[in-house]
This record gives sequence, C-alpha cells and structure tokens, in this order.
Amino acid sequence: MRILVVEDEKKVASFLKKGLEEEYYAVDCAYDGEEALFMAETNEYDLMLLDIMLPKIDGLEVLKGVRDKGLTLPVLMLTAKDSVEDVVKGLDAGGDDYLTKPFAFAELLARVRALLRRKEREPAGELRVADLVLDPATHTVSREGQEIDLTAKEYALLEYLMRHVNRVVTRTMISEHVWDYHFDPLTNVIDVYVNHLRKKIDLNSSQRLIHTIRGVGYMLQDKG
Amino acid sequence: MIAFKSIKFKLTLWYVVILGIILSSFSFFLYFTLADSLYKGVDNKIKTMAEIVASSSNRPFGAGPSFTDLDRIMTERYGVRPLGRYIQILDESGRIGGSSTNIRDIKIPLNFPTLKAASKGQTTFETVQVMGKYPLRVVTMPILVDTRMVGIVQVGSPLEEVQEALHQLLLILLIAVPAALLFASAGGLFLANKALRPVDEITQTARRIGSGDLSQRIRIKRVNDELGRLASTFNEMIAKLEGSFRQVKRFTADASHELKTPLTILRGEVEVGLKKRRALKEYQRILHSNLEEIHRMSRIVEDLLILSRADMGELTMEREEMELASLAREVWEDLQILAQEKGVQLKFIGDGSTKVEGDPLFLRQLILNLTENGLKYTPPGGEVALTVEGDRDQGVARILVSDTGVGIAPKDQKRVFDRFFRADKARSRETGGTGLGLSICQWIARAHEGQIVVASKVGKGSTFTVTLPLKN
Repeated sequence: MRILVVEDEKKVASFLKKGLEEEYYAVDCAYDGEEALFMAETNEYDLMLLDIMLPKIDGLEVLKGVRDKGLTLPVLMLTAKDSVEDVVKGLDAGGDDYLTKPFAFAELLARVRALLRRKEREPAGELRVADLVLDPATHTVSREGQEIDLTAKEYALLEYLMRHVNRVVTRTMISEHVWDYHFDPLTNVIDVYVNHLRKKIDLNSSQRLIHTIRGVGYMLQDKG
Repeated sequence: MIAFKSIKFKLTLWYVVILGIILSSFSFFLYFTLADSLYKGVDNKIKTMAEIVASSSNRPFGAGPSFTDLDRIMTERYGVRPLGRYIQILDESGRIGGSSTNIRDIKIPLNFPTLKAASKGQTTFETVQVMGKYPLRVVTMPILVDTRMVGIVQVGSPLEEVQEALHQLLLILLIAVPAALLFASAGGLFLANKALRPVDEITQTARRIGSGDLSQRIRIKRVNDELGRLASTFNEMIAKLEGSFRQVKRFTADASHELKTPLTILRGEVEVGLKKRRALKEYQRILHSNLEEIHRMSRIVEDLLILSRADMGELTMEREEMELASLAREVWEDLQILAQEKGVQLKFIGDGSTKVEGDPLFLRQLILNLTENGLKYTPPGGEVALTVEGDRDQGVARILVSDTGVGIAPKDQKRVFDRFFRADKARSRETGGTGLGLSICQWIARAHEGQIVVASKVGKGSTFTVTLPLKN
C-alpha cells in the first residue's frame, strides 16, 4: 500500500514516513500544495495524509484539485485546526477522515488501516487465501498454521497480492503500490522479491498460490 | 408596575401636570378678570345713570314733572331709557318720591348706614337681594344742591346677565380644561412613545449582543437626532468590540496552532521511536530533535507571555537616560559570532548624539530582534548594517537595520508586525523564529512613543527603521 504524506513541517513528515514505513507501507512526502497535486496526479497512491495549512496551495485547495481530477483515493486530513467549522469544511471538500494534531501515532495507523479497508470494501481483520492468513494489524503471516517470517517488502508485496486475489497484477501495479517514488523501473527487483516470497510461501506446500503470468505479471490464486 | 416607572410615563405625567397648572392659572385669571370687568361695567353704568338723574333732579320735588313719569322724562330729556334698570328717587329722609315704571311692585331697600353716608355726600355701591334668584347691584347717590342733600337717587341693575355669563364661562372652563388635559396626556404618551421607540430597539439589540452575537447592529433611521447619535455611537462601540474579539480569537487560534506543531513533533517522534528497539544513534537523534522543539516551545511561550503582559498593561517600562548608540554597539559585538558563523558581514554605524530615555532591557531586545532577523534572512556573503543616528532637527533618534536578504513582498510588508505572521513559514521555522519577534519590536517602539516601519524590495533586501524621541 502506497501512501502520500503532504506536510510542510519537515520533522512531522519525517516521523510519519518513518513510522508508516515500519508498518510496511510505501511512503512519499510532498512539502507543499503544488508538489502534492503533482505527485497525486503522476503516481497511484492508495491513501493521502494531508495537512491543511500548506505553503503555495492550501490543503483544502489540494483536496478539491485531487477530487476534480477524478481521483478517489481516501484522504486523511491532519491539522492543528480543531474547530467544528474546520472539520466540516475539510470533510465537505472531499476528505474521508480528520485527525487533529497532536495525535497518537497508534490512532493514525488504525485510521489508515480503516480507510484502506473501506477503499477495498473488505471486512476488518485478517486476509485469507486458501490456508494462507495475513493479519494487517499485527503484520503476521502464516500458512497451514505455520508462522512465516517475512521482510518488510515481502510482506507489503504479499499483502498487495492478497488484496487482489484471483486477479492479474502487473509489475507496474506492484511498483506503484508497493514501492515508493525512488523505485527504479529498469531493475528486476520485483521479480527477485516475488521469488523470495514464493520460496517462503509455496516451497513447503503442496498447493502453489503464486503464479507467473508470462509477459504480464503475477497472480495469487486460491484454487488449482 | 414597570410601566409607571418608565420614562414615557414620567414624561407624560410631568407634561400633563405642567400643562394643568398653566391651564388652571389661565382659567382663574380669565374668570376673575372678566368678573371684575363685568361688575365694574355694571357699576359704571348705574353710576352714570344715577349722575344723570341726580343732576336733573337737583331741585326740590314738584319743581319738575312728576317722578312717577320718570321713564318719559328720561326718554324726553336724555334720550336714554332706563332699560332693565331700576331707578328710584327719595327725599332726604328716605321716603320714596318716584321710581321707574318697572319697579312698581318692588322697592329698592335703603338701609341706615347708606342713608347716613349719602347725607355726608358719599356715593355707595351695594349688592342686595330683592327679588327672585339674582341679586341687584345698587348705587345710592345723594342729590346735592350747594353741598346740601336735597334727595337721594338709587339706580339698581340686576346682575342676572353678568352672573349668567360668568357661570357659563366657569362651566366651559370646568369641562374644557380637563378635556384638554386628557387629550394632552394621550398626545404626550403617543409622542413619548414615538420618540422613545428607538430606545426600545437599542435595548433589544443590546440584549441580543449580550447573548453573544456581536454581529448585531441597531438600524438607524434618523441619523442626526440625539437617539440617532446614540445608536451610531453604540454601533461604533460594538464594531470595535467585535474587532477586538475577533483579534483575540485569531490570536488564541494562532497561538494554539504554533504550540501544537512542536507538540505533534514531540509526540510523534517519541511514539514512533518507542515502537521498537533502536540503535543508540537513533535515540540520540530523537532526543536531540525533541530538545530543539522544547527550546522552540519555551521561546514561543516566553514571547507570548511578554505580549500578553504588555496587552494587559502589566509590563512597566523603566525611564532611564542612555546613549542609544552604545547600547546598539553592545548588541553588535554580541552578534559578531553569529554573523561570522553564517558568513554574513555585520556592520555598525553610530552617528551623532543619540541620547534617549527608555528601558535599556527592552530597547536592547528591540535592537537584538531586528539585527538577528536581518542575519536570519540574509544569505552567506551578504551584509547587515546596524545604524544608529541622532537627528537634532527632527528631535528623533533612529535605529536602522538594513540587510541584503530575501526582502518582503509589498503585500506582506504591512503584516510583518502582525502576531504569528510569517512571509515564509518554512524558512521562519528552520531559523527558529516564533513569529512574534517583530510584534514585540513594534510594541517596544510604541511604548517608547516611537514607531517602526519597514521598506523592502524582494531579492534586494529590507530596512527596518525605528524612530524614538531624542532626549535633550
């Protein structure tokens, strides 16, 4: 899951990026309204964290711009303004949720999970494909009851595949939702990670879940 | 009973009472003057009549025609008929000699004192009750021949008409005065109501404002009368209140926003840091960053405290005579290290006598804030000049701080002295500004009866000029 953090306060942006990356999200930062609009348009984000008071273009204007371009990604607003008017204005401009500073980081993570879940219309809790189970709250993965140890990127890749079960996922989609802005499209990093994941998930099992679709990408299948 | 305590009621009451006094006095005056004049008129007429009769009868009885034919004699001799009047002629002992035809059946009484007065040659006026309802006004006059009384003439006139007229007048006054007062009180109440209606409106608006809606205003219809002026004064006052309320509200919102940012950083960094075990270096980085934010918060709180105490009038300025240039020189010396670190040249120019009266601590802070600002916004290789000059002609001392920094856009130049205003938020935070420094400078300048202005060109630099009154 790839998240755009829009925050002009460098230190806030920095701890948000760090904290979210430790939760296996791919995170990019934009430090003003212009940059935010540009990045939201040119990349596919699964969620945006948006500060309201921004240089150049105000956060509410960024939100309107994003919605005008037909982007439906969930937006969680972060701001020090906590009057009812401000909350109403933010939500009416197209925001999905609102969190006032200073906030508890655990609450921020819970709201991010809730928004991502809502986007996929998925029930809360674990993701299941055949006997493979992934818990987004605790970041644990197990197969046939056996816990599997994954690195951050492997986990993010698996989560993405599981959220798109039985659908073909292209390398571009993976690069856009699992890796951040600094991903180099000319490398075969994605194939390397898929292979690592395959070894950990499918090697000790009779049923293969990860399939390669030649010339297109990959697919996680729960049958055959 | 509020209605009876209202100004409307009191005004009307006073009005009616005063009008009542005036009307009654007028009525009394009218009635008594008229009565007096009417009675005097009757007296004059009967006296004239008596004189005519007396002068024509100053011969003993029998010398002229019979008294019994008085009417005819009067008509023939004087061309006057004793119409409505009774005439009676008596001899010196009081015996009736003759009378006008209309008093055949009655007799004008003649009492002893009157007779006695007549015998002494005096004329007497009397009011006597002879017949019917109305009294008779009688004049008793002696007929004199060589100062000797030969007879008495009595002329009487009934007072019926006079009393009837006076009675009528009294009746009219008794009805008209209360009626006038009744109408006056109704009219007075109406007028008072009309005049005081705006007061009710003002009261209602004030009540709405009291309940917290400061955007309410009184609608003013007549601008130039007393109530119109009251209403517009009231409106001006509310506008001022609304303005300062809005200012306080914005200031509080800004202050809380300013304090929330470092709090967010502190909380976020610590919470993320505590999520798992980290290397010692990482902990050190977090603590270092936290310390920065704590410093920042203390600076904001200190500045806020200065400003709020200044607003409350709790800060007292010392009044001390000092040379402004030497104070500025000290600041300049203190800031040399900072300037060298940044690679900015910091110059000092002192010119003329710059003796001023003021608080050395606050003036020092003023110069320090301005010079530090200049250093903050000037890139390495630039120059900041601190100039202090005395201007005898204008009686002022000036502190000029010019830099070759980024400059301030014209639209922002007015607002740089506003609390928490920052032309460039990101830069200001990186340099550790609180957004309150220039507000404090402005307050210090004003507290010394001085002023502070800025002139700036984007990309060229800015000059802040503080003007203080020179001490002779």
